[in-house]
Amino acid sequence: MRLEKCWFCSSTVYPGHGIQFVRNDAKIFRFCRSKCHKNFKMKRNPRKVKWTKAYRRLHGKDMTQDSTFEFERKRNRPERYDRNVAENTLKAIKKIDKVRVDREARHHALRMKGKKAKEQREAAKELEQSIHMVKAPAVLQQEPSLTLPKIKVKVSQQQSEENHAMEE
Amino acid sequence: MAARFASRLSHVGRSVFGGLGNISSGSLRTSLDSTWNNFLSQQQRTFIQMRTVLKVVDNSGAKKVMCIQALKGKKGARLGDTIVASVKEAHPNGKVKKGEVVYGVVVRAAMQRGRCDGSEVKFDDNAVVLLDKQGQPRGTRVFGPVPHELRKKKHLKILTLAEHIA
Repeated sequence: MRLEKCWFCSSTVYPGHGIQFVRNDAKIFRFCRSKCHKNFKMKRNPRKVKWTKAYRRLHGKDMTQDSTFEFERKRNRPERYDRNVAENTLKAIKKIDKVRVDREARHHALRMKGKKAKEQREAAKELEQSIHMVKAPAVLQQEPSLTLPKIKVKVSQQQSEENHAMEE
Repeated sequence: MAARFASRLSHVGRSVFGGLGNISSGSLRTSLDSTWNNFLSQQQRTFIQMRTVLKVVDNSGAKKVMCIQALKGKKGARLGDTIVASVKEAHPNGKVKKGEVVYGVVVRAAMQRGRCDGSEVKFDDNAVVLLDKQGQPRGTRVFGPVPHELRKKKHLKILTLAEHIA
């Protein structure tokens, strides 16, 4: 039994799933499901199709180089069954998976860093620029609390003057 | 890809084709074209039956044969089955001549065949290796990949001659 990788989306193909297409030059294409198979028949390049692993790795959305990937290399020599080795391998697989998932999460967090701050800034900017679409300027003048407090001033009279300038 | 577009209507019959043909109005043309292309590129592959032309992938002298009988199977032959065929095209100086009736085993079929582990295999074209009455191959070389369904059907000689077993 061997767990293969889908040629199109790079997910694992478990036994009993998928279609294997053998081209006349003896290159074998394995597909995990008909979605990938149909995309292949349409001659789509997986590096350009957004949801595939190939695209994500190419565009830096997912981790590309990591030592945890070294453990998953394809081995062609059949191993003699040894119960201890099998047990240790199973334990190791679990641990390696955990490590890999943690590293991927860290990569993702690093990629998304600064997104919240950016969103906040954009929201604030939009609020001050397009507040006229939500509330009429006349109302805003009367109740300066509806706008964001831009500059803290000591005298309330000056604050209404600020609003005047902003509403232009 | 050209072959696929050339033989668009398989005899299995796509009733959807009739429906799409009826809707052809000018406004729908552009959207229909793209869906039509996608639709046509998914061809329904079926069995190898009478009048199916197959490629010969050994050096017995024949190039193309036409199936005249699938020896097993009511609907037709599949990957690994033997057929009776008539040689339609042959190399000028080969052991097999045009018009000869020969036996052959299907080594590549465009129709997918289920494997015992539950997956399916399919090849790019329909190809056959000529045999004699006893089931021994008539040529001495086999070209292209062959499936290991042949092992169960006891065509071990072909497997040894093959360059790649899929």
